Amino acid sequence: MFEFISLNTFWTILLIAHGLLAVATLGALTHQAMAVTAPARQPATSFGFVTRFRNVRGAGYATAICVLWVATFILGAWIYTKYRIAIRIPLERTGYFKTLGFFELKEHAAALGLWMLPAYWYFWQNAKNPAYDAARKWITVLLAAMCWFAFLTGHVLNNVRGFG
Amino acid sequence: MTVATEPRAQANSAHVVPLASSAAFGAFAIVFAIAGPIVYVVSELGGVPLFTYHPGTGRIDFGFAAARPNEGPAMYWYGWLATTLIGASLVGLIATLLPRNVTAKIPLFLIWLLPLLVLPILAYALMPFWTR
Repeated sequence: MFEFISLNTFWTILLIAHGLLAVATLGALTHQAMAVTAPARQPATSFGFVTRFRNVRGAGYATAICVLWVATFILGAWIYTKYRIAIRIPLERTGYFKTLGFFELKEHAAALGLWMLPAYWYFWQNAKNPAYDAARKWITVLLAAMCWFAFLTGHVLNNVRGFG
Repeated sequence: MTVATEPRAQANSAHVVPLASSAAFGAFAIVFAIAGPIVYVVSELGGVPLFTYHPGTGRIDFGFAAARPNEGPAMYWYGWLATTLIGASLVGLIATLLPRNVTAKIPLFLIWLLPLLVLPILAYALMPFWTR
């Protein structure tokens, strides 16, 4: 494969795929979190953007979000090996320690989100069970917050120093 | 032959419970989600990754291993993930053996509260990054 593309191009493609998967996860989780925290009271036929945005069936997103989170996580974990050598060491030499600290914290947040996924999926598959309402709501909100934090931190780090 | 196998097929399908409505899977998922952050933070702070990966050489050592001279850094995050995956899965599997009236009493708010409590601890463990 490296006869056709350079090593840097390969890692850049992986990083872009990781970023695109993260965007999809972010969009789906934000819709779902909005729907569960501020559900629209009427069908959104002639209402504004915000009402339409939160007027989605949250349960229909759960499986896709689990798949997207895991896929994003696996790609990110793969890229992390390259990051440790090609990105982190030069950033340490130039003194970007707080940026690196936030990136390490993002890895922890992504892992903590991973452990919640089976319960998150189970609660959304049983969305009609009122016993799970509060847990389902706050897990979804927390996952959305973690996803935003991870996305923004990764984006900033890529701005500071990306592949290539 | 078709007539003879139909009741057996129906009997088999009657025993198949979808994952989403399985009480055992529910108990596993809830306990796995509660145990996950605890095992993860213990693994990180206690320095007990299942393995250490050395990205410079591709070497994998069992358990914790310090970075070797002239071989680049050592990575423990993968080892923490593996420790947590195994540890939390074992606790989750044990939970499936408990009576339903016991698992029904597990406070569900722990699933979202524990990660929130653990994040500042993990941030504190990253202190060298914040103070340099």
